Amino acid sequence: MAGTAWNPGAPVLDGIAIGAPWLAVAVLTVLRGHARIVGLMASLASVAASALLLLAAPKGESLYEALMLLFSCLTAAATLVLPKRDCDFRAIGGILFLLGATLLAYSSENLVVFLMGWVLSTTPFLRESWFRARSWRPVASLLLSSLALGAAVSIIYYSGHALSVNTLSGRSPGGMAAFGLLVVAVIFRKGIWPAHAWVADAAESGPSIPTALLLNGHLGALLVAKLILPLYPRTAGNLFPILSWLAMATAIYVAIRALTENSPRRLLAYLALSQSACILAGLESRTSEGITGALVHWFVVTVSTTGLFGILRLLEVRFGENLTASDYLGLAGHAPRLAVFFAVFGLALVGLPGTLSFCSQDLLIHGTLMSHPVTGIVLPIATAMNAVSILRLFARLFLGRRRTGFTHMADALPRERWTLAAGVLFVVLGGLFPNLIVAQRSAEADRVAMASAAPNAWAEPREDRGSAPIIAPPRFDFWLR
Amino acid sequence: MSSSQAALVFVVMAPGAVFFSLALTWLVGWVPSERTLSRITGLTFTACLLALLHLLWTLASTGDSAIVVTFGNWFAVHEYRFPLVLMADHLSLPFLAMTVVLSGLIGQFSATYLHRESGFFRFFVLLLLFAFGSLLAFAAGSFDLLIGGWELVGITSVLLIAFFDQRPAPVENSVRVFAVYRACDIGLLVAVFAMHNWAGNASFATGMPKLAGAEATVVCLFLLLAAAGKAAQIPFSGWLPRAMEGPTPSSAIFYGGISIHAGAYLLLRVQPLLVETRIASICVIVIGLATAVYGTIAGHASADAKTSLAFASLTQVGVVFVEIGFGLRSIAIAHILGHAVVRTLQFLRAPSMLHDYHRMHSAIGGEISPTGRHLEDLFPERTRLWLYRWALDRGHLDTILDRWFIYPLLQISRLFAALDSVGRSGRTERQANPTISMRSPAEQGVE
Repeated sequence: MAGTAWNPGAPVLDGIAIGAPWLAVAVLTVLRGHARIVGLMASLASVAASALLLLAAPKGESLYEALMLLFSCLTAAATLVLPKRDCDFRAIGGILFLLGATLLAYSSENLVVFLMGWVLSTTPFLRESWFRARSWRPVASLLLSSLALGAAVSIIYYSGHALSVNTLSGRSPGGMAAFGLLVVAVIFRKGIWPAHAWVADAAESGPSIPTALLLNGHLGALLVAKLILPLYPRTAGNLFPILSWLAMATAIYVAIRALTENSPRRLLAYLALSQSACILAGLESRTSEGITGALVHWFVVTVSTTGLFGILRLLEVRFGENLTASDYLGLAGHAPRLAVFFAVFGLALVGLPGTLSFCSQDLLIHGTLMSHPVTGIVLPIATAMNAVSILRLFARLFLGRRRTGFTHMADALPRERWTLAAGVLFVVLGGLFPNLIVAQRSAEADRVAMASAAPNAWAEPREDRGSAPIIAPPRFDFWLR
Repeated sequence: MSSSQAALVFVVMAPGAVFFSLALTWLVGWVPSERTLSRITGLTFTACLLALLHLLWTLASTGDSAIVVTFGNWFAVHEYRFPLVLMADHLSLPFLAMTVVLSGLIGQFSATYLHRESGFFRFFVLLLLFAFGSLLAFAAGSFDLLIGGWELVGITSVLLIAFFDQRPAPVENSVRVFAVYRACDIGLLVAVFAMHNWAGNASFATGMPKLAGAEATVVCLFLLLAAAGKAAQIPFSGWLPRAMEGPTPSSAIFYGGISIHAGAYLLLRVQPLLVETRIASICVIVIGLATAVYGTIAGHASADAKTSLAFASLTQVGVVFVEIGFGLRSIAIAHILGHAVVRTLQFLRAPSMLHDYHRMHSAIGGEISPTGRHLEDLFPERTRLWLYRWALDRGHLDTILDRWFIYPLLQISRLFAALDSVGRSGRTERQANPTISMRSPAEQGVE
């Protein structure tokens, strides 16, 4: 973790957070049973270790610990919500493998370790026996993003003779070639236009909940915050607006595209993509408000879209795999609580007051309009369109004449209900008391903005934080230094 | 915190707290009986009314111009702050009182009107959320907070339009109304951003943000966009007849009473800025005047009672806009209060309108003899026919919106879909092998 004080327990906790899920994968491969229990225990171990890391992190320097905790909680929730039909040792094993790889990428300050996390997180989606989609585009995009990142890391090491982000900060290692390759990696991984189509393909033809977890790792945004902004402050200053415009183009493109989409999975994928693009646009705004909004929105999008994909999967196993938004299905009569959860998560994604996204959207729009007064208007327009699309999807799935072709279908089961209620509580309580989250993210946004503004800024003291220079601590990747 | 400040906080927060508690208890499995629900609602609004009376008494006895409660910043990032300020002044108090009284009355009316309706619980929960949103918007001390209440009013309005969700028409209309709301709310978001950017804040608890000239004009025009959307002014009037799909009590409180006047409240709140800019004032007058004329003509061709009343509302709100544009603030407030109360009553009586007519006719001993004099007689036959067609299609507003905005947007969306499908590997297994059809056996013709 960049900029944190030395914490001797951190490598151990990192090791537990990342190692526990991978160990569980090995156990599941042998056991081939009790998948949900093993998965839950392993993800709870990651949750506990990440929580301890977060508690130990200094104020304002805990972004990656917070993200580790969020993703661990999300995986624990996914193992609980996963329908019985999907919950075998392969699915749980794949999810845990993804958890370990994503946490590795979050916790790393070393380029090679980051690359490992990046590549490993795509592995379950390349293997037929795990989560490989039946379309070629997801596989191609994930491979291309990994190749681009691998090439960028090679060039950076060749020109900078170092692999630590802190050492390379502000030095623009590898120049335009490395910068360009990193941007390409972001574009393919995040599904930025014109490489956006794979996201919808993956959501439609792959398993729903694991795909949601893959998308919500937001490793593309992580690459921007962790590598591109600190390593290339000058280049980013000049050329980064191009990525920002692409992000805004993606936000509006997929928002328009979603207006006529009738496949619920694809529609949700477009909404997730549009809102994720807003995160990228906020990060690029290079204003404290925009970056803070982006970081808070990261949390909102992650929880909301995972919740939405989870609910959709629960509906599919109850009412059939071919749900469509071309007709009114009237499912609220059968599953009223799932309908309410869907409505809350959906509206929370698009800025409903009283939810955390109201604050994040407010900050995002403010920051983006400050940095791009003309093109920034695209974000509120895209969000408005997304709001219409999510309401249309809700209406088509849940409203309409109650269908009589089913036997009695259970509404949300207790384990599903309580897990989804926890997600709803997060977005609602976060919205009622946003400063608890915004203040933390604001301090971290300063660091991101500072890193992108000044050469070698991560190693420089901040005027308002005393004169002690910020020294990067050894973390889980200490063995590579 | 003084007792009057506590009373203000209570008035705003009580419906929200009751909504939150009821929603949470429902999620964990408890559904209150109709009687319990209506009593809880009645008690909430009675308590709010008492607190409001205390507030009025305090203001009258102390001679203060406003009661302000500051909770600090809801969230802040450097100089950008979201102040959490509630304010009750001479403008917001009438609106607060109107909201509390009408919401309480509608609650009591609906307890009988919606008896044994399957969405009884949903209606009351949404009524409480709506009251909370309205009170928050009217008591907000900054435009930032006003957006919160404003959006809540919008979403509850949309959910209540789709109340009778067994039929597709209410649901489709609710999505349409939501689209118009969200499009117009962009104006509010941009205006607030502009205030922060140019004046440093968007708070009006201690006076309006200092803006003049072109800046004031730009802010006022964006706020006018938001206000026109919420108040169904031209060119956004097409959504109002569609909103009549909701249950009568919700139509009464939204489109006769409170929601339809929220746009006028926004303009009244921003009036110190509005007087600075002639262009914006003229726009307000023109839009109001055009809407008043439109509402009058289109209302003449409405075949059902609720739609006629909706157009009558539109006409009156248009006149209110004109009054605001001319700076007649007190007249506008009085007009809003009188109109809201009368129109709500008319909406509530709409389902029994025929019964009322019959009773009146039997009381006077026959039908009222028509005078035979109508304003439209002043126009030549050809113009009258054209006006009739124009009114029947509601001024072609929806047609224009569809033809020039919605259809092109959907065409672009379909073009994007075609572009995205390039290289897509045919039909996926999900599409090719549906496991269970969503159609019931009866619909499929299966015995």
